[in-house]
Amino acid sequence: MAAAYLLPGAIDASDTADTADTASVINPAPRAKDWAALAKLPDWSGTWSPAPDDRAFPLGKKEPKWLPDIARQVEQMKADDKAGKPQPVFVNCLPEGMPSFTLMTLNAQEYLFTPGRVTILGEFDGNRLRRIYTDGRKHPDDPDLTFNGHSIGHWEGGTLVVDTVGLLPEVYLPLGQSVAVPNNGDMHIEERIHLVGPDRLLDELVITAPRVLAEPWKISRAFVRSRERKFDIIEASCRQGDFFENKDKYGNVIFSPVEHEEGGAPFASKP
Amino acid sequence: MKRSIQALWLCLVMTGPCAFAHHSFAMYDAAQLLTVTGTVKTFQWTNPHVILWLVNGPDASGASDLWTLELPTSPGVLTRLGWSKHSLEPGDRVVVEFNPLRNGAHGGSFKKATLVDSGKVLQVSIPPPSAKADSDAKADSK
Repeated sequence: MAAAYLLPGAIDASDTADTADTASVINPAPRAKDWAALAKLPDWSGTWSPAPDDRAFPLGKKEPKWLPDIARQVEQMKADDKAGKPQPVFVNCLPEGMPSFTLMTLNAQEYLFTPGRVTILGEFDGNRLRRIYTDGRKHPDDPDLTFNGHSIGHWEGGTLVVDTVGLLPEVYLPLGQSVAVPNNGDMHIEERIHLVGPDRLLDELVITAPRVLAEPWKISRAFVRSRERKFDIIEASCRQGDFFENKDKYGNVIFSPVEHEEGGAPFASKP
Repeated sequence: MKRSIQALWLCLVMTGPCAFAHHSFAMYDAAQLLTVTGTVKTFQWTNPHVILWLVNGPDASGASDLWTLELPTSPGVLTRLGWSKHSLEPGDRVVVEFNPLRNGAHGGSFKKATLVDSGKVLQVSIPPPSAKADSDAKADSK
């Protein structure tokens, strides 16, 4: 790879580029020019929260075209929720995964640019994060399956173009807190993330999930920027709220479990 | 809960829960808005949802109930909305409006608290789109 063709933010890995997709490749130490290249990228600093006019979950906003069998499941889940018996989709504290990381969060996110990588840090249910490699690597031939998948990206002007594969089949395609379907395997997510205003960022997704979707699902989510310190992302453990502060027999301060009903809501006691 | 609870009104139009994580709020009966005067036991400032533990009572017979009233969001989001872990303190007398669990257990979805002593009102209100966001949205549509 010649340096002249490097995309902004990509490490000049000319010493190792020929072996970029081999198991023996190293991540070279960034050089001054690699750090300097980051200054040419758009400014995505600050904390990004779902835009007030785009906080809604996909439910009722822009639902995908499901395969017929899946559509019947979805309608049943909607009916269950309406009847006050919501399906406990995200109650087990496993990572929500993509695309829920983007479509379901109501908490803040932030973007970190470092040479060869964009890292998205979330606050949603446990400080989830995504690593998007922008160093020119390809997807592994046989990636270990994960909740957020394996993401590679490149910059097209001010747009970060991301391609994600390697997602666990259990990871949901979400419509809401209680309406979601596992992708069942082979999900592929393409994203174009870019500023659409001085303080407004849009993530446009095209989700292909051939085992549940009849056609690719095109959906977007907008985020707005804040710079106030009160918007700084905080530690957000997923399950702390499942426990209350208590004391053991020695007087040590400990966590004791809060009782929950089957849908995941806490209660103090039953009458 | 005790007799002090009163069904205030029946929602004909149910608004969507603004739950942030983990679970739907459909197990709470949004058609019932109950109110109770009680004493804060603990204001549990935890992710993913903050929980108000409230002692209702004692009534004339000396009995009291302990309730959890779940706020629909997290410390991070509440901080951005102007709350803090000191917004409610143990011992505070409050009037709380909530949607009860459908199964009758002592839990509810927090809607609003009014401190008896100061009259201060606490709600979880998502701000409307700002003028700035509106202008950005217009840029988006171009």
